[in-house]
Amino acid sequence: MTTIARILASGSTALAVLAALGATPPAAAQEQPLVIARNLEINSLDPHRAFCDTCQIYLSSTYQGLVKLAADDRSVEPSLATEWTANEDQTQFTFKLAPDAVFSDGSPVEAKDVKWTFERLKNIQADPSFMMSGVTSIETPDPKTVIVNMEKPNSEFIGILAAPYTGIINSDVASENGAVAGADAATTDQAETWFLSNSAGSGPYVLDTYRADDELRFRANDKFWGKAPPIKEIVIDQSADAVSQAQMLQSGAADIAMQVDPDTAETINSPDITIETVPSYNFIYVVFSPGAAGNQVPLDREVRQALAYAIDYQGAIDFTVGGNGALQASPIPNGFPGTDDLPMPEENLEKAKELLAAKGLQDGFSVDATVAAMNVYGVDLAMLMQKIQQDLARINVTLNIQPVASAVWRQQITDPGIPFSARFYAPDYYGSAQYVQFFGMIPGSWWERNASQKGKVDLVNQKEVDLLQQALAASGDDVARLYREIALEMINDRIIVPVVSPNLVLAYRNTVEGVRYSACCNLPLAELSRK
Amino acid sequence: MSVVVPTQRRWRSVVPAWATLPLVGGGVIILLWVIIGFTIPLWAPYDPVSLAGMRFQPPSAEHWLGTDALGRDVFTRTLYGVRHSFPIAVVVIGCALVIGCTVGAIAGYVGGLLDSVLMRLVDVTLSFPAILLAMAVTASLGPGLGNAAIAMVIVWWPIYARLMRAQVLSVRNREHVEAAVASGATRPRVLIKHILPLCWSPIIVNATMDFGQVVLLAASLSFIGLGAVPPTPEWGQMISDGALQFYRWWIALGPGLAILTVVLASNFLGDGLRDFLDPRAK
Repeated sequence: MTTIARILASGSTALAVLAALGATPPAAAQEQPLVIARNLEINSLDPHRAFCDTCQIYLSSTYQGLVKLAADDRSVEPSLATEWTANEDQTQFTFKLAPDAVFSDGSPVEAKDVKWTFERLKNIQADPSFMMSGVTSIETPDPKTVIVNMEKPNSEFIGILAAPYTGIINSDVASENGAVAGADAATTDQAETWFLSNSAGSGPYVLDTYRADDELRFRANDKFWGKAPPIKEIVIDQSADAVSQAQMLQSGAADIAMQVDPDTAETINSPDITIETVPSYNFIYVVFSPGAAGNQVPLDREVRQALAYAIDYQGAIDFTVGGNGALQASPIPNGFPGTDDLPMPEENLEKAKELLAAKGLQDGFSVDATVAAMNVYGVDLAMLMQKIQQDLARINVTLNIQPVASAVWRQQITDPGIPFSARFYAPDYYGSAQYVQFFGMIPGSWWERNASQKGKVDLVNQKEVDLLQQALAASGDDVARLYREIALEMINDRIIVPVVSPNLVLAYRNTVEGVRYSACCNLPLAELSRK
Repeated sequence: MSVVVPTQRRWRSVVPAWATLPLVGGGVIILLWVIIGFTIPLWAPYDPVSLAGMRFQPPSAEHWLGTDALGRDVFTRTLYGVRHSFPIAVVVIGCALVIGCTVGAIAGYVGGLLDSVLMRLVDVTLSFPAILLAMAVTASLGPGLGNAAIAMVIVWWPIYARLMRAQVLSVRNREHVEAAVASGATRPRVLIKHILPLCWSPIIVNATMDFGQVVLLAASLSFIGLGAVPPTPEWGQMISDGALQFYRWWIALGPGLAILTVVLASNFLGDGLRDFLDPRAK
């Protein structure tokens, strides 16, 4: 062998050794913590008090429902329940629990846990409690059978059970730590603090640590009864804005950035990063509160309609997400039952001026617009309001924008109310009833309560109440028809005016697999792995 | 025979002694901004709050400092920014001077228990970091430039109170003051006519230098969302918008340069005034 050949041979051997040393074996790769950059914005980690987008990720990873939303984002598939049946009029649902399902402490998941969980969710009277409205009793004939009885027909009940907030809690552990499910749970339950440092579910992950505005750390549940998640440790790192998240992603400090907006995504030019833009069911809306104390003129339906006509919807999409979004007709998002062929929001300055002139408001007026200073789904809410401020100035309406912290916004919208604002919503499961129950002008809905300021102005739309009852009792094509009628009523209410349904940017390092958008849960953590 | 006159002497023969480079340079920059502030509506290329073109356009002949996320002309907004930053600085410095100098003069001249009480109040206020105190006050009053101004007056008056008290203490025992007291002048007259006129120099120098600092603090409060509210073209607010678009550097460039020039100019002006008013400090 010549000297050159020997050098080449030894060099290639050395390279092979280096490559072998450098290439991380797949098993070891899965041991590395996977870091997700995201604005946490968590209101609670108590499954029955939590109500936020990060909460959806957290709850769907640490708890399991009786059913779960399938990858098609529409159908449901078994989870803790292996089978279920409903009676003919959809008032009684029977579930058979998986015989081998266990919580993270190794104890079996039993019917009593399901009963306790549903009763607590209903009685605690927090944001997601509406999901259990109408449940009259829960029977547990044996440890693996649950029968839920409803006051009225509810064809969406199975869909609701795919929502992360209905995940089953280990009742023994939670009760020992102050959780209460009885009728007085709203006042006697003391478990919220305990839930900030503990999870008590049967999901693929358990809560490792949570530090507010810092990180949410998951550890694989070593007693998980299903297929073990590939990644052993996942951290959601607090990163408030899209630019910081993009920087973390590019520097390698994060593997996934969850809230990169299309404008920022354009600035990422790295061959190591994958950017996908997918349609979502999320949407941003503006909302009128006629009952708010700060209203300078009565925000009656004609005035609301006039203001809605003055908004340049397509311009708002262009300005907020660079055109990467869609118009949305009603508070029920595109693609959900009842949304086919709904009339899209229309910009019509002439009609807006006519309506205001008919009310004697042609010279304009001022509206206070407090908005949470945050970026959601790539939309900066204060920026969106500035765009709408420009639009409304065309009909002499002055919008006084006041950006505040999200927690302050939540407080103000409840009391004394905010005349005009912008907010966002992501679905909890596939079904239209959730939107009617949250946005509809039906007694006690979140927005009926806040927009009317607890009845100071009568906003209840009885047609929506009746139609919802019919829809929940209906089956087949009637469901979509009835929800369409409700959607038209909600459009006509002009309390909630959807502005943009932004596309979702999925930005992640090429070494990560399994990143997908889920309608109920944002990002299913158990599906993530490293190449 | 020709006589060589040193350059400096030639310069001094045409420019008066007080016209130092810092004084003139700082004064010219501040004056330019004042002129811009008064005249900008007459010649601004675009409206500061309306759409001026496509969003996120980099600097070009049409938009010298590009456009922001809402397609507004950054150059126009930067120039308009002075109409918010300067008045707030003038009001804050003015109010802080009136309150601080009154308190300081009374404390220094009267002395005794009143002096102790007032100076402890000053100590307590000064013990808080200025930005934190301003944030706390603005957060409790609510966002807005008016509330930010109130917060900054609360932060700033003790500085002048302490300065004025020190000046009054150094002057009140001079012979001319004792002579005025002996001739039967009332205490307020002694203070106003015989003491205060000798106390102003360091106060004026300080106030001039503080002008830039107030502009900076106002911008800081707006940056964190406690000052100007949208769509006000305020420099701090604009930099905050730019921070959200890190790779579109031009959005924050204009307001950043504006703040830089104002703070530098006020420091130069303050230095120049000090040299002029108190040549011993040179």
